[in-house]
Amino acid sequence: MYKDDKLQILKDILLTDERTYAQKIEEKLNVLEDTLNKRNQLSEKVDPIIDEKLSQFILEIPKTLGPTITEALKTEIKNSQDAVVEALFPIIGKMIKKYIQSEIQQLSERINAQMSKTFSFSFIKKKIKAKFSGMSHADLILAEEFKPIIEQLLVVENHSGLLMANYSLTKNIEEDMVSGMLTAIKSFAEDAFNSEEQQLNSIQYDTFHIHLQNFSNYYIAVVVSGSYSSEFKHKLEDKLLDFAITKINKTDLKESVSLQQKIKDYFANENL
Amino acid sequence: MKISKKVVIIGHFGVGKSSLIRQFVENTFSEDYKVSIGVHILKKEVSIPENNKDVTLVLWDLEGNSDIKKTRTSYLLGSHAFIYVFDLTRPSTYGNIIEELEYLKVTKSNTPIIVVGNKSDLVTKKFIKEINTKFQNFNSIYTSAKTAENVNDLFLDLAKQLV
Repeated sequence: MYKDDKLQILKDILLTDERTYAQKIEEKLNVLEDTLNKRNQLSEKVDPIIDEKLSQFILEIPKTLGPTITEALKTEIKNSQDAVVEALFPIIGKMIKKYIQSEIQQLSERINAQMSKTFSFSFIKKKIKAKFSGMSHADLILAEEFKPIIEQLLVVENHSGLLMANYSLTKNIEEDMVSGMLTAIKSFAEDAFNSEEQQLNSIQYDTFHIHLQNFSNYYIAVVVSGSYSSEFKHKLEDKLLDFAITKINKTDLKESVSLQQKIKDYFANENL
Repeated sequence: MKISKKVVIIGHFGVGKSSLIRQFVENTFSEDYKVSIGVHILKKEVSIPENNKDVTLVLWDLEGNSDIKKTRTSYLLGSHAFIYVFDLTRPSTYGNIIEELEYLKVTKSNTPIIVVGNKSDLVTKKFIKEINTKFQNFNSIYTSAKTAENVNDLFLDLAKQLV
């Protein structure tokens, strides 16, 4: 037996365990190498971990990144207002267009309904009225659609702003506070323009028009919905003046109950 | 017959005018510090059992001002009473109070004035007694908008004076 063979036999005897161990490590390394290099195998192992971490991250976004994102958005919007307006304009424009279309559609339907009454007595009456007033039939129908309506009437003491009497189609406002606020607004506007002689005559609020008619000890505020035309304004002024001259006396100014009744009698079913 | 009275509440910034009214009108108190802006109008119906009358107090809470002469005079017109509020913990809010009250007395003669020392929960009874000597010639009361101490009494007494 050669020396080398003997050494080999000795190695086999002494290193059997180590070799087996090394072989196992090699096998494990191969599996690991496969896992790392082959996408589907790596994916099988890693995906559940990533999914879990991602879900946790998504859940924590509002807490961790929320304030930063909000702050960044705020700064961005503040610094690029023109860009924001440009981006929003088409959307808002579309919304407005849609709203106007819908309103025109409703108006058209109402006019159609009016037209369908073509052979009614009221139609013939309107035709005659249109002919004599010089207005077209369509204008007359439109004017009726947006007819001004007195929604609320408040008689308010000058300076103190205390409500003396009121008349309302529907009780939906806090009259005492409204008359106080109207007086404060009136005082503010009149003071601001430093005009002792001039007085605030009207306030526009949303679709309402608040007509203010001033008298020496009180003023009358009339809340009008619908079309507040100059023709209506003149009629209303005359009507309020007539009411003040012919109906209100000194006793009424101290006795709100009688004034309340007079207003109701005078303005209920009022068609100016 | 409905009785309505205009009551104007005046005083320096941050003395607790709005809080005092909120405590009376809504029966709540907010710790949020808020300085009044312009004028705020609130109303409260007060029943006076002694003479079986209801009074509507329309309260004009004016913006705080350290000089009453700078207050918008048109807001003071037609008032049936004034409530002058100061902060018991801040001497600067009552340093010139006598001059301010005299000004009100002269310009709005016969209009009742009530002097209110607010934030009484933050000072001692002894201090209130001391400070009260200043206002012997005026109708005065010490309140806490926070604890509601004397708040209802203030407005009830005022309503009784006005009817």
